[in-house]
Amino acid sequence: MQREKRAIPDDLFYDRNDFWIKVAEEAVIGLTDYGQGNIGDILYLELVPAGTVVRRGERCGSIESGKWVGSLLAPVSGMIVETNRDAEADPHMVNADPFGRGWLYRIEPADRNEIGLLMDSGAYQAWIEERICLEEKNSQGWID
Amino acid sequence: MDLYDLGPVGWVESQSIYHALALLGREGLILCYPTTPYICLGLHDDLDYEIDRQYCRERGIPLLRRETGGGVVYLDNRQLFFQLVLRQDNPLVPLRRHRFYEKFLQPALSVYRDLGMAAELKPPADIAADGRKSSGNGSGDIGRCVAYVGNILLDFDFVTMSRALKAPDETYRRHLYRIMRANLITLTDCLAYPAEYSRLTTGLIAGFQRQLGDLTPREPDAELRETARRVGERLTSGEWLDLPGRRPAGRKVKIAEGLYLLAQESVGRGRKLTLVRDGVAEEVMAGDDEMELALPFRA
Repeated sequence: MQREKRAIPDDLFYDRNDFWIKVAEEAVIGLTDYGQGNIGDILYLELVPAGTVVRRGERCGSIESGKWVGSLLAPVSGMIVETNRDAEADPHMVNADPFGRGWLYRIEPADRNEIGLLMDSGAYQAWIEERICLEEKNSQGWID
Repeated sequence: MDLYDLGPVGWVESQSIYHALALLGREGLILCYPTTPYICLGLHDDLDYEIDRQYCRERGIPLLRRETGGGVVYLDNRQLFFQLVLRQDNPLVPLRRHRFYEKFLQPALSVYRDLGMAAELKPPADIAADGRKSSGNGSGDIGRCVAYVGNILLDFDFVTMSRALKAPDETYRRHLYRIMRANLITLTDCLAYPAEYSRLTTGLIAGFQRQLGDLTPREPDAELRETARRVGERLTSGEWLDLPGRRPAGRKVKIAEGLYLLAQESVGRGRKLTLVRDGVAEEVMAGDDEMELALPFRA
């Protein structure tokens, strides 16, 4: 697999589904640069409406790229207080600016202890490397 | 890996069984075809934007929304389905899901080539023969699994497909039919003899065995059947079918990878229709032109 340099800002937390979480009083959540790169050109984005209460790991939206659809899973529990309507209207924004205009939603965390389960930038970088190495080993050349 | 070579199945089962396998976290390959026709929407398709509901109702064509990607398709017993369910942590599943099509479609490519057709992969997920689409494919994460689904077109009902899709006017519909006919190809178009189900499945099974190892023939067990029954009810429920989805400005129908027929809003007397291929306007047509095509549905 061709390795591409992906941005991993130091001031964010990360989960294993390739979401970034910016923690303040509320948390802002988005897809990482690495995550959007794996998904490819995003054609459709659907987020559960503001006011929805989600638990960590639960579905909070879905996403479609060319010929693939998947779920967005909440990295922390809480109530979604705002979704990014601009990104829903123009999902390519998530590809183009995943840490900025392509943010997905703001959530009021229900359990601050869950933040401790997330990775910092160094751990996320290491985890990405681990996944890439594993895939290279398993693909045995059938993937470019 | 389990193999479910099911042959003819009910139209709901032709989708619900692979969903059920995925929800149960069980890997398997399913080969089947539906005994009766239906319209199948992709997860994010908008029913009212895509489908002429009145036509489907009058013709008794039922609707189902699957949990995999891609667009609206008309499916019937002249299409052979191959559906592969893998756990997301299976080492075969790449991080970039679309990369798996290259592997997933090899068995179907081999079948086409064995029949003498010059078939090739058109990335990410089409098989093209003679430059025309010959197989439709999609994928999606379902539960903790990923399902890749595809079909081989033995024949295709272009008339019903072009009638079932919502069209802003009859001229658009005529062009839709014409463009689909020109850009899709079936085994019936290419072969001087009918393709037999058993020959196709034998080829597919051999191809998948080369990639997945031994395939163990199985029949759906009670757990799988019960889960499929419940999933089938959900996939065909009014609430699920009516979920809102993508609604591009103007009418836009994807015909093949990179090929779209667009209708822009009325300009003067009629709409402007544009056929876009790989981002380039290949043909621009007036929406109210007088071109007459000898189509059965115009009779």
